Amino acid sequence: MDIIISNSSEVPIYEQIKEQIKEKILSSELLAGDLLPSIRALAKDLRCSVITTKNAYEELVNEGYVVVVAAKGFYVAEINRQLVYEEQLNKIETLLDSVVNIAKINHIKKETINSLLDILYEEEK
Amino acid sequence: MENILEIKNLSKKYKDFQLKDINIKLPKGMIMGLIGENGAGKTTTIKAILDIIKDYQGEIKVFGLDNRIDEKKIKEDIGVVLDDMFFPEILMPSDIDSIMREIYKNWDSSLYFKYLNDFSLPIKKEIKTLSKGMRKKLEIATCLAHHPKLLILDEPTSGLDPVARNEVIDIFLDFIQNEECSILLSSHITTDLEHIADYITFINQGEILLSKTKDELMEQYGVVKCGLEDFLKIDKNDRLRYKKNRYEYEVLVENKKEFNKKYHMTTIDKMTLEDLMVLMIKGVK
Amino acid sequence: MKGLIKKDLFMIRSNCKILLILFIVYLIMTIEGNDFAMFLLPFMSIMLMISTFSYDSYNKWTSYAITLPNGREKSVRAKYLATLLIALVTTIFTLILLIAVSYFKTNTINMEEILENMLGMLFGIFVIQAFMYPSIYKFGVEKARIGIFILVFGVAIIGGVLSKLFDFSKIADMFKFLNQYSLIVIPLAMFGLLYLSYKVSEKIYQKKEF
Repeated sequence: MDIIISNSSEVPIYEQIKEQIKEKILSSELLAGDLLPSIRALAKDLRCSVITTKNAYEELVNEGYVVVVAAKGFYVAEINRQLVYEEQLNKIETLLDSVVNIAKINHIKKETINSLLDILYEEEK
Repeated sequence: MENILEIKNLSKKYKDFQLKDINIKLPKGMIMGLIGENGAGKTTTIKAILDIIKDYQGEIKVFGLDNRIDEKKIKEDIGVVLDDMFFPEILMPSDIDSIMREIYKNWDSSLYFKYLNDFSLPIKKEIKTLSKGMRKKLEIATCLAHHPKLLILDEPTSGLDPVARNEVIDIFLDFIQNEECSILLSSHITTDLEHIADYITFINQGEILLSKTKDELMEQYGVVKCGLEDFLKIDKNDRLRYKKNRYEYEVLVENKKEFNKKYHMTTIDKMTLEDLMVLMIKGVK
Repeated sequence: MKGLIKKDLFMIRSNCKILLILFIVYLIMTIEGNDFAMFLLPFMSIMLMISTFSYDSYNKWTSYAITLPNGREKSVRAKYLATLLIALVTTIFTLILLIAVSYFKTNTINMEEILENMLGMLFGIFVIQAFMYPSIYKFGVEKARIGIFILVFGVAIIGGVLSKLFDFSKIADMFKFLNQYSLIVIPLAMFGLLYLSYKVSEKIYQKKEF
């Protein structure tokens, strides 16, 4: 499992860890029931403070991606795919919202935006 | 016992220097970095914990026990690396083993020799023939070989090249894998601490300027860079310290998020411990 | 404490070979009839112990030792015990030399005289060490060395001058009766002095800050 930490990034390290583990869970690289490294082992491997990894795990637990099993450790939780899908859709909606806002303010046509989207999708492929 | 080390209102007066009201709490399983200039009081604080200096005011508890009443018991479980204090240099690493075996109940010869081997240190050579870096490694091997629960390290990486420093830091991180163990370490190489410390305590002129978890510190504090015009807009209460450079002002702020909301200045740099130290010491209030 | 004594012994280990060679040289010199050589050994034993103090302070062992679980008093006690141990070894070697002198000079072994000489010598060592150690603990090796040097010479000069001015033979006569008990009085006096010195050193070291 790769976790890449940037010390120069503006994003706090615990958030970087959290987001990357989350991504791996969503992309099914980490499966429900997988054991995550311990707080201390992860801190050692990432060369960061124990408090940092602890924060990251705590937030993952709060958001339902990870569960704690007492005296055993942190496991990847069974995630509700439907819920996650809706969550992601919500995210896209808010982002598109601002796109639409900018477009309206500057009188940019819907077609232009559509074609932009097409181009971006093409590039992705 | 939640805290492995607890210092309450430690004060000590010298002719030309004084330690004022030092309060430190180091929880189990954590690493605390002491930062500050040379002569700020880091070593004096450490010496007070170890009872090398006497006649101070205040209370120091290690493992929940008074450091003077239960001195011997406490010291069985402390490992130290002190700047420039060690075995007489005409002794050899093998001598240290046979001496320490009589001194610590838990001295672990095989662990000691394992460290010597890992560090590629000679066994039968007088200490004085070793380089500065090798000596430091020998001191570190010695401080770990009795399975201590608290490491007190005064400048443990000084004199080490970057590769050796990395090795040593890995060893400290291994040590902290046991959540019953803690490390108090002073260093002026702040990048070492920036990575591994859980708590940062900043001492200046014998006083603690701040003591916080490193994450809080790094997330909340920030350095704003701006011109004179913007600088004048900043309320005095919103800045901790500032420094006027040739082309810009550097302003240390305590809460960069709130600062951002209020002033919308774009160049808030991520702060390093070094920035913090320099601005706190050299900056104007 | 055993560890601390070991440490002092390890420290003078490298000098032992030289000492052994010196001993053989002295032995030969003594057999040849130069009996001054036998006093060099006790002198060397003092220098050896002082050198351990020098190394201790050079590498700040004195502060480092406080971080170990012995307590300060054991550090001092170990120093005195190491001193006694070295003195014992020196005594054995010097006895051999004294017996050799006695035998080669007079063809007999006068044990009583040898023991008296021996005791006198040990008394000399212990007096110097008894004064020196507390001053080392208090002022450090360098200052203590100079201090003792001045003290010894001062006493010698003042004593010399006084003995020219006054006649001490009467006072010496008063103590004559002690002579017959010298084998008891001298050991008692020197161990008493050493113990006193140990207590003073301990007091000083207990309060010392580094």
